[in-house]
Amino acid sequence: MPDDIAEVYRNTYPALVRFLYRKVWDAERAEDLAQEAFARALVHRPENTRGWLFVVAANMARDEARRAAREKRHLILLKSEPDVFHSSPEEDIDAATRTKHVRAALDELTPRDREALLLWDAGMSYDEIAVQTGLARGAIGTTLARARRRLVEAYDAGLEGGQHVARG
Amino acid sequence: MSHVDEGTLHAYLDGELPPAERTALETHIADCASCRATLTEERALRERASAVLGSARPAERPAPPLEQLRREPKRSPWRVRRSFAWAASIALALGVGYSLRTPRVPAAATPAQPVALVQDRAASTQEEKAPAPPQRRPNDHRAARVADELVARDAARADSAALVATRVRGAAVAPAAPTLADSIRVDASVVSGAAARAERDRSTAPSLFVDGAPARQSMAANWPVISRRVAKTILGEEPVGLPGLETRTFRRDPETNAVVVEQALDSSTVIQIFQRPAGGAYPYDSSEAATASASRARPRANEAEGLFRERGNRLFARFVRGLRVEIKGPLSADSLNRLLEQVAPLP
Repeated sequence: MPDDIAEVYRNTYPALVRFLYRKVWDAERAEDLAQEAFARALVHRPENTRGWLFVVAANMARDEARRAAREKRHLILLKSEPDVFHSSPEEDIDAATRTKHVRAALDELTPRDREALLLWDAGMSYDEIAVQTGLARGAIGTTLARARRRLVEAYDAGLEGGQHVARG
Repeated sequence: MSHVDEGTLHAYLDGELPPAERTALETHIADCASCRATLTEERALRERASAVLGSARPAERPAPPLEQLRREPKRSPWRVRRSFAWAASIALALGVGYSLRTPRVPAAATPAQPVALVQDRAASTQEEKAPAPPQRRPNDHRAARVADELVARDAARADSAALVATRVRGAAVAPAAPTLADSIRVDASVVSGAAARAERDRSTAPSLFVDGAPARQSMAANWPVISRRVAKTILGEEPVGLPGLETRTFRRDPETNAVVVEQALDSSTVIQIFQRPAGGAYPYDSSEAATASASRARPRANEAEGLFRERGNRLFARFVRGLRVEIKGPLSADSLNRLLEQVAPLP
């Protein structure tokens, strides 16, 4: 019997938005895509709603990226910042800088490592990540270990580089 | 056991190591200072990575009502809502003026071709308006569009019957909530003629029929008039209506525990607001919805709607506290939808 989509929606929507945000780097667009994914789930009624949603969302984000590249409409980072409703301009700038560094660090990962990391962060289990990425379940731990290390290293390197530029 | 590789340590930290391996690892760690140190490092790395990733996240906003997604996947519902309040008041004003000069047109007996009236998607509506003023883009000017609809009302009515209903998801409307418009979401949608009749037959309460609505309207007109006190007794709480409008009568359905509140827009235009206790049929927990954030409270009620949707039909209503509320009157569907949004417990 298919999952209860309302239940999945309640539990998974924020994680799916987050997952998509780190692919499209636009909060509104991420919401749109997440909602579109759920809308499709309402029609298709997949057996494993959660897994299905992330597959669909990943595909949509990929299409989105291709389209954006095709249109040569590379988003300026500041424009793609999330809508911040309850923070000051100073906090916005901090958030923008942080996001920029995280984004750059994520870009240093291989696509597969990045995907595994984002899926884990979205609350997927090793089994689900294995299904979605095609990795063996036994390789997920190693993949995540590598992804985490790379992310942290790249992030720290980016911060140092930024400070260097600021000083210089 | 040889030293543990970092992949296994991460799986262990993630709680994803199978029980047998987990036991073996813990046994080894207990004896191996080197692996204990590595585990500590990997734990720190894991937490750091999580923190780094967590620092780039979108502002969390409440999820829109689930059943709204099918209709409006590209639109955040929040932006739409804000215009409702003033649009509704304009609709009211226009409705008053227009109904004063418009003779009532007999309703079509049978809906031959249901008209789809969907908020912001007035394309099909526009087609019905042969004599209507120049078309506008749906998002351009709400007030103007409402005016168009009101002007075109008779034309649309003569052609076909539009069955429109409204359903509101989720959040409770606190009795005196100043943020009424923000705490509810309306999902106007369309019921096809035959399907809607089937749905209506299943329902004990009147459905909402905008144009060409037959049976229920006259039936409600014959319902016995009751006092407000009796209405409150039947409903178990204060009856709801449009604040600021004169309440003409309270009536009760002789067969069920439904109550209709009739309110006058003007001397010749009466809005009927059907209401009955939501009861167990509608899993609605007003206390939860009133206190929890919108996104958390919502999906509970969504379940029922999802089921209705899946049948290809919709049952439309709005919940105001413990009441299921429907609205009917000689206004356009859009106007009624907006009025329905304003419904609150009567003062």
